[in-house]
Amino acid sequence: MKLLENGKRLDGRALDEIRDVKIETGVLKRAAGSAYLEWGNNKVLAGVYYPREMHPKFMRDPTKAVLRCTYNMAPFSVDDRKRPGPDRRSQEISKILSEALSSVVLLEDYPDAGIDVSVEILQADAGTRCAGLTAAAVAIADAGIPMRDLVSSCAAGKIDGEIAVDLMKDEDNYGDSDVPLAILPRKKEVVLLQMDGKMTKEEFKKAYKLAFDGAMKVYEVQKAALLSSMDSVEGGE
Amino acid sequence: MMDVTDRELVFPGRILGEGIERSGNSFREGRNVFSSIDGMARVKGNAASVIPFRGGYTPKESDVIIGIVSQVLRGSWLIDIGSFSKAYMRGEEVTRDALNSDLSKYFKIGDLISAKISEVNELKSSQLMRPWKLEEGLIIDVNPKKIPRVVGKKRSMLNMIKDKTGCKIVVGQNGRVWLKGNNIEIAIKAIRKIEREAQSRGLTDRIEKFLSNELQSR
Repeated sequence: MKLLENGKRLDGRALDEIRDVKIETGVLKRAAGSAYLEWGNNKVLAGVYYPREMHPKFMRDPTKAVLRCTYNMAPFSVDDRKRPGPDRRSQEISKILSEALSSVVLLEDYPDAGIDVSVEILQADAGTRCAGLTAAAVAIADAGIPMRDLVSSCAAGKIDGEIAVDLMKDEDNYGDSDVPLAILPRKKEVVLLQMDGKMTKEEFKKAYKLAFDGAMKVYEVQKAALLSSMDSVEGGE
Repeated sequence: MMDVTDRELVFPGRILGEGIERSGNSFREGRNVFSSIDGMARVKGNAASVIPFRGGYTPKESDVIIGIVSQVLRGSWLIDIGSFSKAYMRGEEVTRDALNSDLSKYFKIGDLISAKISEVNELKSSQLMRPWKLEEGLIIDVNPKKIPRVVGKKRSMLNMIKDKTGCKIVVGQNGRVWLKGNNIEIAIKAIRKIEREAQSRGLTDRIEKFLSNELQSR
């Protein structure tokens, strides 16, 4: 399958162009904080509960809270029905998302407690771990849980021998390689970096740079979503 | 140097200033001070803090809270205060011989009490004192971060609502409000309005007008 034509991709994007990202906060009334994110054709819903008593008890930590993230794909999120329930892939993603988020939330404020974050993929179009992490960070901020920074995320990959940012489904399926990256935009620290497929060192460096710039663009969308949700809080009637 | 203006909206990780004093919902890294939450920055002289819009309740010493008795233990009660940590109340608060008396005589499971937090330990687990049983009436849940606005400066807002409606109100810092008596619906409406418009100016006057209108129209 030909993925590139005259330097343009299947959906007309340039190699360094990310898909449109839209974020809305406070969409769930029962959760402490929530965010709905649309990233190209990805649709993600993230919800957070306030810190609460941690169960099971043996997982408690008297020095800090334990943050648990659950990533789940809806059965209708992909072309072939996805068998519901946790599988190898979603367990892996749950784990890496928990670890990435644990590095920014001020967990020391809530000893012995547990913070549950759930990420539901309603529609998948490649890059769902990045989309899920981005939405989860906004949801936690929306809940008013203290954090050192937001987490922004973006992927890059190799298609038809060229390095491109933010792969979509066909590019991910028929491309050569995929590198998801998540950063703390303020300190420019990396909290998630994986690679699927093969790349040379030079290609990797280029992919890293593209994913990093993409994540910084996503950061701007996250900030705007958080600030605009507060505008409505402020005004009287 | 201050990087925010008073009442500016901020998000987690937003810089507030360099070499400034800090308080509430901010953290320091080197000389820089950053916001740790989504909220509104307040600047007072050389100090910055952030007012939260949302968030759970974390127990604090000397807060008055409204709790629900969730277990009667030997010589003490376990009270649900709507937080992630546990709260206990010693039987000695109501009787001299707590170990040998039946504590459910005083407070049984499901009873509502208002009490003061006497101590919070390093696990944020708290001790309660001076319980007061709340009988009948009803409880509403309010965003704990808006409670200061429901109470107002020197309790001005709360006293105004009480005077106007003639309703008995006990406000717990943990976000639970107990009401009993006349015009409960109007008092609840007013509290919900305060919750929605907490960050706007001239709120007390607006609520006063709102209450007058509501009371007249019935």
